[in-house]
Amino acid sequence: MQYFLNGLPIGAIYAVVALSYSLIYTSSGVLNWSQGDMVMLGAYIGFTLTQVFHWSFTPALLASMVVVGLVGVIVQRLILKPLRERKAPPINVVIATLGVAIITRNIALAIWGPDAQVFPSPVGDKPLQLSMISVTHQDILVVCVGILVMAILQYFLKYTKEGKALRAVAQDRRAAVLMGVDTQKSDAVAFAASAALGASAGILVAPIFFVTFNMGAGIGLKGFVAAVIGGLGSIPGSIAGGFFLGTLESLAGGQISSGYRDAITFALLILVLWLKPSGLFITKSRQKV
Amino acid sequence: MDIYRLAGRKFNIILLAIVLLLPLFISNLYYLHIINLAGIYTLITLGLNLLSGYTGQVSMGQAAYFAIGTYVSALLMIHFQISFWLAVPAAILAAGVFGALIGIPAMKLSGPYLVLATVGFGEITRLVILNWTAVTKGAAGLTAIPLPTFLSIKITSEQDFYYLIIAIVFVGTYIAYRLAHSKIGRTFSAIREDELAAEAMGVPVNMYKIAAFVISAMYAGMAGSLFGVFAGVASPDNFTFDDSVAFLCMSVVGGNRSIAGAIIGTFLLTVLSEALRTFQAYRLVIYGGILIFTVIYMPQGIYGMAPIFNKWIERQPFAKLLFWQKPSRE
Amino acid sequence: MLKKYAKLIGIIIMLVMMVVSVAGCGGNTAAKTIKIGVVGPESGGAAQLGQGQRKAIQLAVDEINAKKGAGEYKLEVFFEDDEGNPTKSASATNKLIQQSKVNIIIGAIHSSATLADMVVTGRAGIPQITAGSTGSSITEQGNKWLFRTAVNDEFQANALIKYAKEVKGIAKIATFTAADDYGQSGAKLLAAAAKKQGVELVANPTYNNGDKDFKPQLLTIKEQGAQAIFMWGLYTDAALIAKQSRQLGVNVQLFGASGMAALKLIELGGDAVQGLILTQTFLPDSKDAKVKEFVTKYKAKYQENPIPHAAQAYDTVYIIAAAVKKANSTKPEDLRTALTKTAGLKLVTGEPKFSNRGDDIGKYLLITTIKGPNFELIKTVNTAN
Repeated sequence: MQYFLNGLPIGAIYAVVALSYSLIYTSSGVLNWSQGDMVMLGAYIGFTLTQVFHWSFTPALLASMVVVGLVGVIVQRLILKPLRERKAPPINVVIATLGVAIITRNIALAIWGPDAQVFPSPVGDKPLQLSMISVTHQDILVVCVGILVMAILQYFLKYTKEGKALRAVAQDRRAAVLMGVDTQKSDAVAFAASAALGASAGILVAPIFFVTFNMGAGIGLKGFVAAVIGGLGSIPGSIAGGFFLGTLESLAGGQISSGYRDAITFALLILVLWLKPSGLFITKSRQKV
Repeated sequence: MDIYRLAGRKFNIILLAIVLLLPLFISNLYYLHIINLAGIYTLITLGLNLLSGYTGQVSMGQAAYFAIGTYVSALLMIHFQISFWLAVPAAILAAGVFGALIGIPAMKLSGPYLVLATVGFGEITRLVILNWTAVTKGAAGLTAIPLPTFLSIKITSEQDFYYLIIAIVFVGTYIAYRLAHSKIGRTFSAIREDELAAEAMGVPVNMYKIAAFVISAMYAGMAGSLFGVFAGVASPDNFTFDDSVAFLCMSVVGGNRSIAGAIIGTFLLTVLSEALRTFQAYRLVIYGGILIFTVIYMPQGIYGMAPIFNKWIERQPFAKLLFWQKPSRE
Repeated sequence: MLKKYAKLIGIIIMLVMMVVSVAGCGGNTAAKTIKIGVVGPESGGAAQLGQGQRKAIQLAVDEINAKKGAGEYKLEVFFEDDEGNPTKSASATNKLIQQSKVNIIIGAIHSSATLADMVVTGRAGIPQITAGSTGSSITEQGNKWLFRTAVNDEFQANALIKYAKEVKGIAKIATFTAADDYGQSGAKLLAAAAKKQGVELVANPTYNNGDKDFKPQLLTIKEQGAQAIFMWGLYTDAALIAKQSRQLGVNVQLFGASGMAALKLIELGGDAVQGLILTQTFLPDSKDAKVKEFVTKYKAKYQENPIPHAAQAYDTVYIIAAAVKKANSTKPEDLRTALTKTAGLKLVTGEPKFSNRGDDIGKYLLITTIKGPNFELIKTVNTAN
């Protein structure tokens, strides 16, 4: 039970990051490898606003999401757009986003230095002891805000004009163009939204894990794994994948072998890919891209 | 067009002479060390080009086969006193088997799914090496990997390694070239261009895909066993995800649809990452910028620029000097 | 077709050769200088260690040159970043030896990088002193060119377990170590020390670099009923482990080793690391006159407190200067012989003296605890015993 509970907050983080991968992938068909570093950037901006400029938590969260969202737009304009115009092969797009990741990480290193930074939890990290089980306030906050962010995303996709355009492009890019949807704009929206999602994950995870310039690599990869296990491109799938991965890691690390924990995760991933490439939690079969 | 014919045999002989005599000109062993390292990486990139450029598959886990090659040959040499020349085929074989293993699920996958499967395989391999301390010595790694001998000559210096590596790279390049221009190579390209059409034409697509994975793994395995004796030590830190990414970048930056692209990309990025040392903190930022620039503005890699480059060369006054004769009209 | 390739490759090789011949023209050796090459991670995950090492070495070199501390020789220093990667570390060492023509190498910090560098220095016959690698395998290679001014982990593991048993009366322990060269070596040595001193090891989980969630392993430790947890890893990990163990209600005594000894540990760990006991080689607020002098100078130059790695690197330069003075030569063999005879120095982290294997057995090992915002000395152990 404790193992299961421990997996929930980290699962919520994975779910948010998984969503950010899914969002970009469905709408623009791009595998954006710099997603993890948007998480890092979000955490650092949140850290700077709350610790250096003494903002409170909620405005810092929102401001960081906006700033990182803008970074997402810049990445789309400067890198994705020219690649698309030149009809670059997908592998080139992956490498370009890897380049973005390398640059972001090293600029962060130059600005904030190599030391880990403390990001105090807005609600304190004292544990709540319930007989055998203990949970911290921060854990509860992470799960709640994580779910809130996902709900806002749902609302955005279903009820706003930009969100609807995004979904149209995701369904059929060519048809959307014919219907007069500006795909460059919808790509920019997708990049902004998923970068902002990443930033929110960064701020949520910072009080639990500290802030370091290389924190993005691990979280980014795990988020991607969660997205694929759940079903890349599917929003409920990504969320389920995130929570599933969080609890799986907690159980595998505690009960089987801590050293091989990630190896177990990846082995399961390859198995899922082999047997059910559309993802564990997707029932209807989708065409592979 | 004509220039190539005109360049003729003379050029090849001069090139060969340069390659063979290079160590005599380079007194600075550090440069030779970097060239040797690039030579080893070239083998990996050659395999990767056959896999990605020709067949259209992706691998972001090539460091895994590189690691398997290193560990298998080094362990055989350390524990069973097997000669380097027997350890290399064993390493190639072992890497090939694992290549088939990942090739099987990869048959069904493409795009990000394939990327992730290969990343996962790379991580599993690294974690097993890291945690299986009884055999691999864990993170501390293998030390005192024996030096190879060739006809009772012990290969010790950078110059010795240069000739060993150049010889193997030459063989590797030749095989890759023959493969690429054989029926197999053309089938690989057919799969890349249109998998369904190839299938419809009766090509056993799955078999060819697995074969591409096996071949690329074998190349990396061969590179691995060379790397083990060259470095003298091996630890999991040599075979990380970042290394896999670096190999992929070499392949794409050089141009992954040609054999020459592999060589160009590998030498360029290996030398570049050393040359950028002077920039210290901003080194990796510049490196990232160059990657992005290349994939946007040279989508077929640097080798893809060859036609443009050739035209430019033909117009230069020193073209005559380089190619001995004035290019004649066709 | 083949000719098409050949031409391009040929041109590239020519270009490389041109660069090589131009670059090869630099570098001339002035008389009476001794060149020191430094390899360490100045970027990547352990960047703070490499940067601390660089700052301290620069400080020591400037001081020694100002007061002519190396006899007639002037020290000249060259730094290379290895990113903590063994392949890059070996290339950097090669560059220092072949291009900068250094007479001696200081480095690296990661044990795997140091092991890779040792192949290079061993083949070239250049003395190498690591001021940062503590892994026990380094001095077990039988490499006569290698010296170590960091404290061998073996001493630390023994001292910690002894203290836990005799002073704290602890009988059942768990180790919780990083699955990297540092942590794996620590786990092995702790297990051996526990066995030797009759302390029961009930659990020995590990974690991989980059892991942030340690709760599963901590729960296992809790279930096994350990009275103390011995951590072997970097301070970021140790601070997180301490925090998460408190959150899970695992309130046992925590122990650690020199790898996590940094004030940042206290800042990151907060209340959770209070009372943690760890061995280290250097305390910035020590009463010792040598330490005070070093810290004052370092702070004046860099506006921050030195980390223990910096203190060790600083001492290493002084050891080299003394050896150069004694050898009155820059020949590698003479330098090596002079290093083996190092004696009579009183430095910041000890009175250096090398064993046959190259370990500095004159180091002070400080058993310390965390109290408030500072480390507090419990007692000093000499590693010679």
